[in-house]
Amino acid sequence: MADCIGGYAGAGRLRAQTPARRRAAGIDRAGDRVRRILAEHRLEVRGKQVVIKPNLVEYDPQTVINTHPLLVHAALEAFRSMGAAEVRIAEGPGHRRGTLDLAEAAGYFEAIPGFEDLFTDLNLDETSHIHLNRPFSRLDSLYLPRTALAADLLVSMPKMKTHHWAGATLGMKNLFGLVPGGVYGWPKNVLHWAGIDESIADLQRPFPHVFTIVDGIVGMEGNGPIQGKPKPTGVIVSGSDRVAVDATCCRIMGIDPQKIRYLRLAETLGLTEEGNVRQVGEAVRSVQTTFELIPEFSRLRLR
Amino acid sequence: MSSAGDLSSILASQGRDGGWGYRGGSSWTEPTVYALLAQAVQGRPGESLARGTLWLDRAQRPDGGWPPNPTVDQSTWVTALAVLLLAGRPGWAGRDQAVKWLFEQSGRESGWTHRLRLRLLGFRSQEIERHAGWPWFPGTAAWVSPTALSILALQKVQRLSPDETIRKRIETAREFLLGRMCQDGGWNHGSPKALGYEANSYPETTGLALLALAGAPSSRLGKSLAFAQEVFGRCRTAEGLSWLGLGLLAHGRTPPGNDKLKLIPRRHVVDAALCILAEGAAKGNNVFLS
Repeated sequence: MADCIGGYAGAGRLRAQTPARRRAAGIDRAGDRVRRILAEHRLEVRGKQVVIKPNLVEYDPQTVINTHPLLVHAALEAFRSMGAAEVRIAEGPGHRRGTLDLAEAAGYFEAIPGFEDLFTDLNLDETSHIHLNRPFSRLDSLYLPRTALAADLLVSMPKMKTHHWAGATLGMKNLFGLVPGGVYGWPKNVLHWAGIDESIADLQRPFPHVFTIVDGIVGMEGNGPIQGKPKPTGVIVSGSDRVAVDATCCRIMGIDPQKIRYLRLAETLGLTEEGNVRQVGEAVRSVQTTFELIPEFSRLRLR
Repeated sequence: MSSAGDLSSILASQGRDGGWGYRGGSSWTEPTVYALLAQAVQGRPGESLARGTLWLDRAQRPDGGWPPNPTVDQSTWVTALAVLLLAGRPGWAGRDQAVKWLFEQSGRESGWTHRLRLRLLGFRSQEIERHAGWPWFPGTAAWVSPTALSILALQKVQRLSPDETIRKRIETAREFLLGRMCQDGGWNHGSPKALGYEANSYPETTGLALLALAGAPSSRLGKSLAFAQEVFGRCRTAEGLSWLGLGLLAHGRTPPGNDKLKLIPRRHVVDAALCILAEGAAKGNNVFLS
């Protein structure tokens, strides 16, 4: 099932620099939304180890590259309030090595109390060597971080963005950040050589328990995932079926999910056909907004 | 680690096995090498140095390279760091194998099979693919950081024992770095352009590239050095400031406001060690070029 909850644009753009009173109000609204999402999905997290994996890539104050820290904070508090044994935040950025520096520049230290104690840099985490079962790519195994492998629930929290190689970067592509740079480098070029679309599909099986919450409040269009332009969309898209969530996000963005190669490869892992997805919340058509695509990807347009 | 991360805090975090983790925990090759380099630049031979060196000896793999940590069954880019540290060590038994492993690595895009495949598919392999850099992980493309560190390691080997094939390899790799310069004069991880769009550089990779290009004609680096001085003023990370400082000093330039390093958070052992190495270079002891 994939949820789509829209209308968040009415709350205004979330900023970490917002005065405390307004920020608290924004957090409360975001927290209520996320708790509602989790309740509608009947997500049972009591006593569980939850790891939230946002998207942290680079920091540029002029644009919107990273998952908004206030939304991550809202998710953290929501999972805590639902009785999770522990909630951690973890990420392994693919371009910049200074993960904590990046998180601080992106507002995570300011927005999330005690952030440094809650955070695991997945690039430098202890790893296990995982054999890939029936891979789509030429990879037969990967070293993957134990913090993510040990989680009872991994929460993929990407930004809704276009991507200049994959077409779109959403919940499934967000798992690239689980591949440790301490082993494979910055960027994680082993995934590119194995095939980006195939690697996206391959990263799903080692993590069977994933819930996706896509930050589409202000996404990115154009030359994503770094040099694109902000695209206010006003949605949070979530679900337990990561393929359905990504497909729904594509439709919202005006992209045909059937033309996104990694989604076609991953069709055995989840649902892409709109008719098979149970939509809760606003209808896709009511929140659909055409994301600008680079010319090379004009063929991905949803007609 | 905090902004107070200095040599005493590095020494205090040495593992019982003699190595260092990034922030405690199990030992990894990179923080162990940097912790030992920091001790060397401050002239602190002693038990810690001996234990750390022993850890590195044990971590060297049969193929001559080093893994990121002993649980990874693959030699990778960290071999360059180990060679840089150990090259001058008298009677080092693993030297020849380590140098051989390092010398034989190159980016997959510069291999003849990849270039032949591109030619057969009708592509013109770009000029920049003809100069072999070093990858992070074998079988993948070359990038700025592992190339720069490998240059520094082989330059040290070359200073100790000149070899024409190593000299040529170093020069080829330096051309690789020059070919990966971004439009702003700096360097990012190694993609100055993607699909025709110009990419921005990063302070840490700019500094590291400049360090590896020490001695290159200033006519090729004028824009880069000016850019590095400007970026130093607005950089807010220990990693970035340290590498920029090392890079500028390698070209006889004084970083503006070098005491910024004292105030910046040092997130882990590598940050703390890099700050010590940059401070050492400012006092005339650049461990990467000596």
